[in-house]
Amino acid sequence: MDSEDPQERPEEITSIINGLERYNPEAVGNLEEYLRHQCEHRYTDSNANRTLLKLYQLNPDRVKDEVITNILVKALTCFPSPQFSLAMHLIPPSILAPNSRAELPEAIAKLRELSNQLQGSQYARFWATLDSDDLYADLTTDIEGFEELIRIRIATLISHAYREIEMSILEQWLGMDDADAMKFVTETAGWKVENGIVKIPRNPENEAKKSEVREDVNVDMFSRVVRRAWEETA
Amino acid sequence: MSGLRNGSAPMRSIEDDSDVEEEALVADYKEQVQYEDGEDLDQVNSMTMAQQTDDIQSRLVAAAQPLDFSAPLEVKFQSYDAYCNLFHFILNSEGPVDLEPPSHYWAWDVIDEFIYQFNSFSSYRLRIARQARENEEERQILRENPNTWGCYSVLNVLYSLIQRSQILEQLNAMKRNEDPAAVAGPYGSKTLYKMLGYFSIIGLLRVHCLLGDFSLALKTLDDMELNKKAMFARVMAAHFTTYYYVGFSYMMMHRYADAIRMFSHILVYVSRTKNFQKNAQYDSITKKNDQMYALIAICVAFHPTRLDDTIHTALREKYGDQLLKLQRGGPESLPIFEELFKVACPKFISPTPPDFDNPEANVDPVDHHLSVFMDEVKTNMFSPTVKSYLRLYTTMDLKKLAGFLEVQPEALRSYLLVNKQRTKQLRWTDNGLLDGEWVNVSDLDYAMQGDLIHISEAKVGRKLVDWYLRNLSRTYN
Repeated sequence: MDSEDPQERPEEITSIINGLERYNPEAVGNLEEYLRHQCEHRYTDSNANRTLLKLYQLNPDRVKDEVITNILVKALTCFPSPQFSLAMHLIPPSILAPNSRAELPEAIAKLRELSNQLQGSQYARFWATLDSDDLYADLTTDIEGFEELIRIRIATLISHAYREIEMSILEQWLGMDDADAMKFVTETAGWKVENGIVKIPRNPENEAKKSEVREDVNVDMFSRVVRRAWEETA
Repeated sequence: MSGLRNGSAPMRSIEDDSDVEEEALVADYKEQVQYEDGEDLDQVNSMTMAQQTDDIQSRLVAAAQPLDFSAPLEVKFQSYDAYCNLFHFILNSEGPVDLEPPSHYWAWDVIDEFIYQFNSFSSYRLRIARQARENEEERQILRENPNTWGCYSVLNVLYSLIQRSQILEQLNAMKRNEDPAAVAGPYGSKTLYKMLGYFSIIGLLRVHCLLGDFSLALKTLDDMELNKKAMFARVMAAHFTTYYYVGFSYMMMHRYADAIRMFSHILVYVSRTKNFQKNAQYDSITKKNDQMYALIAICVAFHPTRLDDTIHTALREKYGDQLLKLQRGGPESLPIFEELFKVACPKFISPTPPDFDNPEANVDPVDHHLSVFMDEVKTNMFSPTVKSYLRLYTTMDLKKLAGFLEVQPEALRSYLLVNKQRTKQLRWTDNGLLDGEWVNVSDLDYAMQGDLIHISEAKVGRKLVDWYLRNLSRTYN
């Protein structure tokens, strides 16, 4: 899944991103509509969303709070890529200052905490935080399949690091209980479970193969020495 | 283009064919000869062509002159107007203007100074806005002129110079080994336009970076080839600036291997050529030089790697203590990361005028970008410790290791996952700067089987060629 330049991106959005249209405040409408489509159809176009944030940055009167938070929630689903940070860098710091707009700074601070937990692979704590406040449900409500997208990312990353993992740990990391967790592990991820141990198929990432790096030596590296020897004898 | 003009940008479109540039010339001339009130302008209008050319030549030279840092606000406004008039004249005259740049470095100096003034004006404006009840007069002037040195006007100038000169088309033709002159058009075939257009690309890289848009900054250089044959390499300051901003943008995108490659390249180049560069140009880059060493220290802490010997030695001289603490990681390293970042980052700016009515609401953009960056630092701060232990074993029990580290097993599981994820990095191979391949950038790899950690370390064979060559040349001398 390419969250930087996805295949789903329509022609008109491509021309906004790559041309001077990206500075036209009127392009905001198209980009917001496109974000809505992303939210409904489970894909992310971080490049286009940054273009939208950039327009907000340049035209603060156009800012819509819920669009900013939706972009950030979308970026959350792309961890551990730096998409969330890149979006944060484009949010004007004046928006983040407390008191300027009562709710937005708090919402962004909350999402940032979630992002730090996902980046820090503290998955159990992530689900606990998500459950701790109704605000999170409000913030993620527009994003179709938010929890499942996160679970799939977590499962993918686990498969890169683990060959076997205890089901009880996995349940906490996926934020699911018995039957739901079993269904996700066996059906969505397609892994086998034996005596409470989840077996993860081998892949290039979880092999940790030994390797040796040798120095590449070629003639060019010696060309100066050879030339020098030649010139001095000549 | 329509969007660019929204911020009441100073430039007018070519269609409303007016005499603005002539008026500007007249105004300038009038100022110079200090007309008494009431005298009519006929005399001025009869100014000869030769005089006009002299005048524009002196304006070209003036545009490349550094503005005194402590210049009063009035002078900063005048300087902005002077740039607007000059660029308007260059871009919107009927057809290309027939001018030769005063010197080889001129085009770079103009763009450099233009952006420098934009940058320092924005920082100054923010500083004034944050000091309530002081400088009331300046606050008032700044509040009333929100578009002076505005972001849209600066971007407009740079994009217009790039478009007019067809420089992107020319660079692409060069890439394909075709003659750039064939696609240069009436403007781009003139040195003045070509060089202004070219350095405007680097100017854009810089402005995007200053605004915190790091991926767009790198994207801007898509058509430019970064190598010693590139046009910018002939102007030392341009060469240097390009690598600083590209390296910095990579760092902010968490692509530390690529950032180190950029910083190393230019620092090695500088250290090899510094004996030939004993001039003003070289002096101006010593500060940036030290900044890049600080950035290399940060990147190496994230991504330990073997550096070029000269860089390694200089780094230990300049930032030895700090580097040691960064590499050790943990909470004690955080203040050092902050310190080095603040010393070495560009002077970030906010794209819109500050809020003069709420001084507290104006956060310094440097603090904002630093705080976002520190999130990433905190995420990774235990990786050095974890790695140093893993190196000692081929298999290890997780609970036992957690005991050594005095942390909960659950915390260690997180550290291991974080470190494993960060060893996979996008690394540039060819094509655009944003492209790359996902590679394992660490010599240490591991996988978990329940609580059992299997560790493998890539053995790096001794590198002999460099050693052999160095000793060989020593015996020659």
